[in-house]
Amino acid sequence: MIGLEREEQTGIDFADLVREHQSMVFSLSYHFLHDRELAEEVAQEVFLGLHRHMGDIKSGEHAVFWLRKVAAQRSIDAARRRKRRPQVALEEVAEPAARAAVYDPLLGELLRRLVGTLPETPRMVMVMRYQEDLAPAEIAALLEMPIATVKSHLQRSLALLREKLERRGVGGY
Amino acid sequence: MDWLEEELRQALERKDPPPDFAARVAHATRVDSAAGSGRVVRVWPRWLPVAAAVLLMAGGAAYREHRGRVAKERVMVAMRITADQLNHIQARVREAKP
Repeated sequence: MIGLEREEQTGIDFADLVREHQSMVFSLSYHFLHDRELAEEVAQEVFLGLHRHMGDIKSGEHAVFWLRKVAAQRSIDAARRRKRRPQVALEEVAEPAARAAVYDPLLGELLRRLVGTLPETPRMVMVMRYQEDLAPAEIAALLEMPIATVKSHLQRSLALLREKLERRGVGGY
Repeated sequence: MDWLEEELRQALERKDPPPDFAARVAHATRVDSAAGSGRVVRVWPRWLPVAAAVLLMAGGAAYREHRGRVAKERVMVAMRITADQLNHIQARVREAKP
């Protein structure tokens, strides 16, 4: 009943929002936490939070902004609660022999894990940039930080990833 | 965009949650709404703090009165004991005189 009243006020259907944005919320959390089960829990929490705040949601765009922002916050909180780094050490990850012209799943997995080793803030910046294809200004608004800081996190993270890949004999193409 | 950024974009592309995710969210929201509507909100009556203050003041006054009564009784008992002892000493002094 409460959900229906809220939907009547906003004109936005909660079930539609879940269907439309579940991949976005789940993936933000999954790529940040590198833990499928925990990411599902976080994503469910985020949607439950949205359901409670449906009265404050003004439009579809506002819902997307809200979901991204809260997914980032909840994922960071979950990582802090978990208080441990990704469970598989980088040394255990198989190294791709050479970069193929088409998408290489081994390189993809290595990159996901390397991103997973970044500190919390730059990791979330990277996930938002490359998963959601957001501009630095949009990331800055979501994570409430200056654009220059976002750009600096991106540059430093890319340099670090490049260095780690080169040490493993990947890159320089 | 260089090759690394392109690889990152592909590596971090969106993934689907389990197929029952939306159903689980719907269930969780129903449980949450039910818990929210069934929540007992305790509203204290406005007169309650005034009544509590009056009771405290009355209780304080009664306690002070009680303590005064007890002190008075103790003084009276002490005076009675002292008087008895004085009478006793006086009697012995009288007996000792030739």
